[in-house]
Amino acid sequence: MKKLLAVTACPTGIAHTYMAAEALQKAAQDKQVPLKVETRGAVGVENELTEEEIGAAHAIIIAAATDVDEARFQGKPVIKASLAEAIKDAPKLIDQALAQQASESDYISQVEKAKTERKARQSGPYKHLMNGVSFMIPLVVAGGLIIALSFLFGIEAFKEEGSLAAALMQIGGSSAFALMVPVLAGYIAYSIADKPGLAPGLVGGMLASSTGAGFLGGILAGFLAGYIARFLRDAIRLPRNLEGLKPVLIIPFLATLVVGLLMIYVIGSPVKAVMDGMTAWLTGLSGTNAMLLGLLLGAMMAFDMGGPVNKAAYTFATGLLASNIFEPMAAVMAAGMTPPLGLWLATLLAPRKYTAEEREAGKAAGVLGISFITEGAIPFAAADPIRVIPSIMVGSAVTGALSMLFGAALRAPHGGIFVLAIPHAVSNVLLYALAIAIGTVITALLVNLLKKKS
Amino acid sequence: MDVSSLIKDETILLSLAAVDKKDCIGRMAERLLQAGCITDLPAYVQAVEEREAAGSTGIGFGVAIPHGKSSGVKRPGLAFARLREPIEWDSLDGQPVSLVFMIAVPEHQAGNEHLQILAALSRKLMHDEFRQQLQASDSATAIVQLLHE
Repeated sequence: MKKLLAVTACPTGIAHTYMAAEALQKAAQDKQVPLKVETRGAVGVENELTEEEIGAAHAIIIAAATDVDEARFQGKPVIKASLAEAIKDAPKLIDQALAQQASESDYISQVEKAKTERKARQSGPYKHLMNGVSFMIPLVVAGGLIIALSFLFGIEAFKEEGSLAAALMQIGGSSAFALMVPVLAGYIAYSIADKPGLAPGLVGGMLASSTGAGFLGGILAGFLAGYIARFLRDAIRLPRNLEGLKPVLIIPFLATLVVGLLMIYVIGSPVKAVMDGMTAWLTGLSGTNAMLLGLLLGAMMAFDMGGPVNKAAYTFATGLLASNIFEPMAAVMAAGMTPPLGLWLATLLAPRKYTAEEREAGKAAGVLGISFITEGAIPFAAADPIRVIPSIMVGSAVTGALSMLFGAALRAPHGGIFVLAIPHAVSNVLLYALAIAIGTVITALLVNLLKKKS
Repeated sequence: MDVSSLIKDETILLSLAAVDKKDCIGRMAERLLQAGCITDLPAYVQAVEEREAAGSTGIGFGVAIPHGKSSGVKRPGLAFARLREPIEWDSLDGQPVSLVFMIAVPEHQAGNEHLQILAALSRKLMHDEFRQQLQASDSATAIVQLLHE
């Protein structure tokens, strides 16, 4: 059912604001269309539209003789009319509003909104971790792609000293990738303790790298550094004239010292053992076990489409890049692409099961899918979670498993279909593309099977 | 809407023969004076005319809602007139007016109750049936009843 909203307003606002509101409401009632009208008259604002109502609205009619704040309707079709038009010809305005198409930009803005809302809801350790991950990703992208460039000269070409391939490997491998874990740890700590957390975090991350504790060690170092720095900030009381020394001298010095010693003497070795064990297991992983891991990571990617479970799988795979393990990354990206892609295909295969709006939305979802923006599936999933979420999980799980089975390896943590075009960024690129295609088809068929004719 | 405290039998004119807008406003204001709503007739009429000068209150559909807030008003009041012959009111739709609601509000009226009454009245006036019933009612009681619904 399409829901409409309207705003009527005029500067004096004695009568026409309300007459227009009534005329619109009457016309909507005759057409059996739900309509809520906000009136901005001399009495003030009544019946104010809420953000949820705006989000759920098909279109908004503004009948006003004065400026109405339109920023809140961004991304929604808006029809503007004078108060006189609304009073005289309300049914026409209602028809116009119903005939509006939800634009593609509307769909993309919905996805954007879902993402920002999620971000705003993030809190505590999860938020700090995601802050670290978001600062790490550009390094991984740059490093991964530059390493792939080096492979253009041959997989072993970088071993020849002085060659361009060696230079590229030095930039991507021994510099950009080497900064990954320190930056991850540094910005986790920065998110917790602000500036005083950065130095101990970076150093703790560096030590995690050099002691072989990898990204797990880096995550630990980041949290340790952040909480220690924050504790010191709150616990140390100095005379006011010395207070200025705290953020530049006392906290960085003490926190870095404590985190460093902990990393070397306490945390480093056990975490290294865990990392080594995991690395060995993942490197030796093949056949059924590899497929199971892909299945699990894939299902996680689709489960909440960019939420904490999805990010857990993503962070795991991205972190492993620092340990030169590239297969889970491939599985994770492929599985993150199939939900929006599958929904796009579903609207193409069975257009009659979808409204015109959903078919438009499907096109936008397709674009988001090839760009590895799993969130592109959210509006579909939000509208019909019981049918959509299981379908996309199955599709993603199959894609993840196939990607692992085919031994596809991905050196960059993002980029969607566009990294497939970069030579050596993905190994087994044809089979990898096949894995994505199969998951897309499975998702589409399942969704359409579950959906009743609308 | 509760208008019973505002509108009295003596402020309802079922067949007013007004020659023009000014005449109509004056005649209706007199009734509000008789009902005890207004104490200073010229001051109130001036307030209404000033409001008309700022923008016609002819809201279309043959209806006008002149109103004034003035120290010449003792307590809020509402008058209704059905005109024998439609008169010009510079209405927004250009049509002459045959139904007039007039509102009087004291200068120091707290709140904006009168605005809410006007808002509610405006909403009612959008319905054909309501306007037809106003035209067809044959007694002051029937008008009050109609407004009260």
